[in-house]
Amino acid sequence: MMRTRLSRRQSLKLLGAAVAAGLLPSLPFIGAPVLANPSESGNNPMLKKNLGNADTTLPVIGMGTWRTFNVGSDPVLLDARTQVVKAFFEHGGGLVDSSPMYGSAPDVMGYALQKLGIPDSLFSAEKVWSPAGGSAREQVAELKNRWQVGRFNLVQVHNLTDWREHLAALQQMKAEGKLGYIGITTSHGRRHRELEQIMTAQNIDFIQLTYNITHREAEQRLLPLAQEKGIAVIANRPFDGGSLIKGIQRRGERLPDWARAECGCTTWADFLLKFIVSHPAITCAIPATTQVAHMRENMGAGSGAMPSASGRQRMQRDVAAL
Amino acid sequence: MSGGAGYQLQQFIPFSHDVYLRLLERIGETYWPWHIATLLLGVLVLLLALRHQARAGSMLLAPLWLVVGVAFFLRHYAELNWAGNYIGYAFIAEAVLLLGIALSGKGLAETAADKRPAVIIGLILALTGLVGWPFIGLLSGDSWYQAAVFGIYADPTAIATLGLLLILLRGWLLWLSAIIPLLWLVVSGLTWWVLLNS
Repeated sequence: MMRTRLSRRQSLKLLGAAVAAGLLPSLPFIGAPVLANPSESGNNPMLKKNLGNADTTLPVIGMGTWRTFNVGSDPVLLDARTQVVKAFFEHGGGLVDSSPMYGSAPDVMGYALQKLGIPDSLFSAEKVWSPAGGSAREQVAELKNRWQVGRFNLVQVHNLTDWREHLAALQQMKAEGKLGYIGITTSHGRRHRELEQIMTAQNIDFIQLTYNITHREAEQRLLPLAQEKGIAVIANRPFDGGSLIKGIQRRGERLPDWARAECGCTTWADFLLKFIVSHPAITCAIPATTQVAHMRENMGAGSGAMPSASGRQRMQRDVAAL
Repeated sequence: MSGGAGYQLQQFIPFSHDVYLRLLERIGETYWPWHIATLLLGVLVLLLALRHQARAGSMLLAPLWLVVGVAFFLRHYAELNWAGNYIGYAFIAEAVLLLGIALSGKGLAETAADKRPAVIIGLILALTGLVGWPFIGLLSGDSWYQAAVFGIYADPTAIATLGLLLILLRGWLLWLSAIIPLLWLVVSGLTWWVLLNS
């Protein structure tokens, strides 16, 4: 089980983290960033952000499961993904995002949670999607069985599919207390205008969209609107489906020295993720990986100093120049 | 893999290259040594086809499509891809079609001209699916039980079946029965293209 009391050593780390929080550059987050419990591995604590207008906070690095967690019933791969989940929570992870469109990913999460126990920090995020069949209620009930959890923290309408029907059902379920938050997702910069209309007219808690250093369309209208409406934002495809970071690493690009000095970037994963989560409107990013080492690298990006506004602009210029 | 078409394809392939290879490996492990039986059945169908015994050939081919539909797609592939169930049902429908053709006797090529181009192309395709395909895996280091064999795996079954159909059938029923194997080969080709390029 991952429910653990804070040891004296961890308490001291937490105290240290609180002191460190005062030294962090002040950023205009939706809510003031706070530091998560220190990880068991002894790394710096993960930054957390408020969920829109709510008091609840969420670690800024979450976990996606698209493709990476769809391993079917393969016992070898099930255990391998369980280790990835373990590393995620050991490093202070919270939000795990999945979908009925992701094949066996919800079952794999269920397997991992059964093996590891359900950690207190889990923020389970699922989706409803018309081709999955059944009503929103039926889908949520089936997905709960697959995850083996009693209740989802967040259920989103996948890629705006039949969003009027699904959102109405989710709003009702939220009112009944059957789920925590509701939201709607898109990716690859698609249907932003329609998403904007939904954000304006509907009562939603979350949006999920593609936002990374090379795809910043959301900065124009959606992210400011999210801030104005107090809507939490999940950034998907932080590495542009892996092609962005793989391309940089394949070419052997050197990490800029200034980024090490300003915000403690030690890897390109750090650089790319810190760029995303330092945007004031972004609540968390959800990189996906199959490897424990990459998970640790990703989680490291959620702690320590974040780039300033001018640092973010410099990051954009650096990546554009690669 | 950039642009709308690439994205649209990626959306329907929710698994990675490594996971797909593991799935194929696990299918091989699960059904070994049935590979030998299905391969021999495939060779028998080819011999029957070349001896103008189209009814018996079609009758033997039908259950192999049922096996691939259930064992490959419904039991395994559908774990990774929600579309796998539909593809599995399509393979079962192909089995029913081949059985119907065999029972009705319609569209069968009982008096084939052995040197027709269709027969020659059919023979090449059938041998590719039956013999060539498993050897691709063996040459790349797979063990015998991992070889992608006709009657267990979808790709060699579809390729060999297209060849066998060219020898076994005539007229519109030939074209009708070729639709599902052809469609699967398009889907499979696009799948491999996405997996190898993403």
